[in-house]
Amino acid sequence: MRSRAILVLLALAASGTPLAGQSIFNAAGLGVPVEPLDARARALGSVGIGLRGGAFTPNDPAALGRLSIATGVMAGQPSWVDYSSGPESGEFRGNRFPLLGVAYPAFGGMMSVQIGSFLDQHYRSASTGSVDLSSGTVGSTDEFEQDGSVSTLNLGYARLIGSSVAVGISYGRLAGSVDRVLTRSFADEAASDVDDYVERGMWSYGGHQVMGGVSADLGSRFRLAASVHVPTDLDAVATEETRGDDRSFDLPIQLRAGGSALLLPGLVVSGSVALADWSSLQDDLLGSDRAETASGFGVGVELTQARVLGRDAPLRLGFRRTRLPFAFDEDGVTERIFSGGFGISLNTTSEIVLAGLDLAIERGLRSGSNISENFWRATISLVASGF
Amino acid sequence: MSFKRSRRGPKLLATVVGLSCGFAAGCEEELPVAISDDLPGEPITVEVDVPWSDFASNLEVFGGYGSPRDLDDGFVANDFAGTLDARTLLRFSSYPRSATVRDETGTLRPDSNLTHVGGRLVAFFDTDASTNTGAVTLELGALQAEWDSKTVSWSFAVDTINDQRAWSEPGAGPVLDFGTAVWDPADGDSAVFALDSAMVAAWSDTTDLSAGARISLVEPGSRLLLRGAALRVDARPSLDPDTLVELLPQTRTTTFIYDPFPTPPADGIRIGGAPSWRTVLDLAIPEQLDGPAEFCAVVSCPHVLEPGQISYAALVLTSRSSEDAFQPTDSIILDVRPVFDRSAMPKAPLGNSLIGGVRGRAVPPGAFGSDPGVQIEIPFTSFSRDLLRGTDTSGNPAPGTLALLSVFEPYSIAFASFEGPGSASEPILRLVLTIGPPVELP
Repeated sequence: MRSRAILVLLALAASGTPLAGQSIFNAAGLGVPVEPLDARARALGSVGIGLRGGAFTPNDPAALGRLSIATGVMAGQPSWVDYSSGPESGEFRGNRFPLLGVAYPAFGGMMSVQIGSFLDQHYRSASTGSVDLSSGTVGSTDEFEQDGSVSTLNLGYARLIGSSVAVGISYGRLAGSVDRVLTRSFADEAASDVDDYVERGMWSYGGHQVMGGVSADLGSRFRLAASVHVPTDLDAVATEETRGDDRSFDLPIQLRAGGSALLLPGLVVSGSVALADWSSLQDDLLGSDRAETASGFGVGVELTQARVLGRDAPLRLGFRRTRLPFAFDEDGVTERIFSGGFGISLNTTSEIVLAGLDLAIERGLRSGSNISENFWRATISLVASGF
Repeated sequence: MSFKRSRRGPKLLATVVGLSCGFAAGCEEELPVAISDDLPGEPITVEVDVPWSDFASNLEVFGGYGSPRDLDDGFVANDFAGTLDARTLLRFSSYPRSATVRDETGTLRPDSNLTHVGGRLVAFFDTDASTNTGAVTLELGALQAEWDSKTVSWSFAVDTINDQRAWSEPGAGPVLDFGTAVWDPADGDSAVFALDSAMVAAWSDTTDLSAGARISLVEPGSRLLLRGAALRVDARPSLDPDTLVELLPQTRTTTFIYDPFPTPPADGIRIGGAPSWRTVLDLAIPEQLDGPAEFCAVVSCPHVLEPGQISYAALVLTSRSSEDAFQPTDSIILDVRPVFDRSAMPKAPLGNSLIGGVRGRAVPPGAFGSDPGVQIEIPFTSFSRDLLRGTDTSGNPAPGTLALLSVFEPYSIAFASFEGPGSASEPILRLVLTIGPPVELP
């Protein structure tokens, strides 16, 4: 059983494409946070905590304790982005896999392993200029590309205490790397013999994090949950060839809370909030980028008794508003998302979903620093249990 | 807890996994493009000219690379530019021993009983590279002494180790007079010498080491480039004595001899010629720059130079007129290669071309004749980085000596000349430096 579970996860991981940037604000500070959320949480506008039922959401460590059998989850997330800033506009697209994990019963609860990204840092930029040489003035192009991300590997444990309270804790290792390359090229015919100038820096990330959470059912209709995420400093160690310095970033404690309520049979509403004061990292930044308090909330509604083709297919709608932790100036960046989606239980036995698919579609807007970024984002998550 | 699994589960699971992965993986990846023009660590690019004394030393000119025979062309000249005499020597392969002819019944048959009755020697000239503007008379003669095509010169028929034999008359003489021909560039590119049977017979024995033709120029004042020569032999077959067949023996060797042989320049750079000239110099890329003022205006001086900052490095040479007799009539293509062991010169092995092999750096002929003073840049950027670093990309010690040479050796009887150290237009090192701060994390 255990080997089959590992094989399933390896197959999922091997099928993935490299993570690519999904926002132009990846260029600010340490990038844009990547939240390890599945499609259900995305569709409900949640920050990933306080949802009913058992769930594999690392932002809600206690929820894992409500799972009854071995569970694996993978989420894929393509996005399509168009942006504008005054007369300039453009578009790009990318994929990422924000959540990949497996949980297995052990020690009276559930042990879990989860990998994913924490901060997305991919972007590139370019500018043109000219250089005066003895052969004349020649055109030059400077291109900067940053390729990398901060990733996490989390080991967790959660269990029920009694019938209504669950607790969970996880330990995570922050890892990943970033490669920053500045290239000046001379495309002019008169400078065809002039080589490109390349200045490169590569850093490896390291750090630790601990996350703890608790959730409680209040009667049969209400659930409340809270979690705290405590990271150490994020250390960036330069490779031997890198001229740039080693760095350390003071990551903030992140607090999350959420709840859901069964208002009517088949109608569940949910809400959640998140708070993290990234401004403590401002002193660690060299440039003019701003680190700010990243707070946010999300609300959603779920019609749990909807059915499609004779199968359970809950419908979901949500809204979410958050502030991004990094911006180009003091205006900050706000993200607003309207979302919708549904889930399909592909195979159930004794009220347990053995295979399920969830889909979320989000239409969002990020704005700040005179930049407006609209995006469509799809999230598909697959849950497989009982292996 | 116990439960019964659905039998459809694995199929559904596989379908969903496949669809999910295909959906996500099928999307094209594109990196976000930041709108801001502010790049981290924007560099500056400046050009610096370094004087000879700050980067180079020990300039030396070596000659004797290759043989005129390797050029596979010929030259003829008579008192060209008041000095140069040149003659072309030819040697032919064996004549075809049979020909296919029709016998009395009209059937094609091979006939090996051929009688050589005469022929022609057709000489082809390069009308652009030859200096004459009108008709010139050419003289054909048959050599009388044994000669070695690889070592033959104006004075010596054979000039190998332990065997040096002079011509009876300098200039590959004396010869048996085989007549003359007139070449007028206005009429075409070839001159034809008529040959009788005795003349044809003189070159038929390939074991005769004295066999050979000499073409020389009668009128003074010109230098002609002979691109090739073809011997046509008329033969009468025994099967059909009423007809003549034309046999086409190959020209085995084309070479030339000339006089006077130029002496190495005392104060300049010479590249090319036949045999070829090379110029060798030692280089040391300055580790620190403290000028000129224009450079220090944008970079704090003294500036410690790093290999990665060199975007371009080139030796800048200023052309000057070659000796009149050896001025080129076509572009000369220059090359630059590292010398692995200076102490082994003139036989030191050379490295690969630093400017792209056969493409080289072409310089128009006027730069070495009527229009001297042209600046030519010979780039060696990667070499300069290795030199500054002390090792090449493989970790081997970087050679500190460069050889300037023509891209093919020999390339022409003419050679390129440049101003040397000490002149007002001495060679300089041109550097294009791109200097930026280290890339840091945000």
